[in-house]
Amino acid sequence: MSQTHEHDHEAHAPIQSASQISEFEVLEMAVRELAIEKGLFSAEDHRRFSEWAESIGPSGGSKLVARAWVDPAFKERLLADGTEACKEVGIDWLDPTGTGTPSDYTYFYVLENTPQVHNVIVCTLCSCYPRPVLGMSPDWYRTPHYRRRLVRWPREVLAEFGLHLGPDVEVRVHDSNQKSRFMVMPMRPEGTEGWTEEQLAAIVTRDTMIGVALPKADWTATSSPSAG
Amino acid sequence: MNRRFQIGDRVTVKNATTMFHTRTQAFTRGKSGVIVEHRPDWVIPEDEAWGRDTPERGGRDEPFYVVRFKQKDLWPNYTGFDVDTLETEVAQRWLEPAKEDQQEGTP
Repeated sequence: MSQTHEHDHEAHAPIQSASQISEFEVLEMAVRELAIEKGLFSAEDHRRFSEWAESIGPSGGSKLVARAWVDPAFKERLLADGTEACKEVGIDWLDPTGTGTPSDYTYFYVLENTPQVHNVIVCTLCSCYPRPVLGMSPDWYRTPHYRRRLVRWPREVLAEFGLHLGPDVEVRVHDSNQKSRFMVMPMRPEGTEGWTEEQLAAIVTRDTMIGVALPKADWTATSSPSAG
Repeated sequence: MNRRFQIGDRVTVKNATTMFHTRTQAFTRGKSGVIVEHRPDWVIPEDEAWGRDTPERGGRDEPFYVVRFKQKDLWPNYTGFDVDTLETEVAQRWLEPAKEDQQEGTP
């Protein structure tokens, strides 16, 4: 019997990869493979690092804000020296490489919202983000669509996120173009009087620390939007 | 390099070109704002991009600043409100004392 099979290979549409690989991804792979070949680190080291870095999430930032809301002295320290105050919630911007990884730099500034000023962060040049405290940025944060429009039409972009601010509030865009990383400290919302630090941290979601949303007493990022 | 500007000084971002790498956004060049914070001396990105990322490796470090711009000074026909601002960090070499004629919107 012949081993040739006779079904039609054109019967289904070609399988397509979800996204094209970029030149930067090719470059990263080439450099990584060279580093592994030279023994600078192993493939498993790389995998472990990636798994750790990608698991960080925004809970560190939530803790910083919640503690600042209940502890004025901590708030003062946090606004004065963000990198140093992070150590009080167990985040060391120099860990584990000594040069700021998983962020690329180690200058961290917390931007305090007030009734007069609303802060929002962006990186028009790439995707700078305070990863040690917020984890990986959301996909939309890295798109040219958000980056180029937030600096030019901030109020329209905020409105697309459902956030409308009046003419008495200064919208202050922070373009993190150099060595500092930023995080927004939103104002503590009404209806949270007497809450514990842990309860407060739950409502300080990622988007409220980017500055595209405000925390609400009845909303946590882990509750299903259909609940209640 | 000595720090040239103080908090509150009005400055203009030089409308310069760059041969290779910079992190001074084109939309800030030629625009005026005010120094609101000092940053440390850092190696400029123009050197870092070539592996000269420390003074020992030949990177030039110099004072950096946070400059606050009025949005309506950055963008013609800005659609938000007059109070809106944008802040970003700028290396000293990119800054000069504000040219007051810039306030009138001359190109």
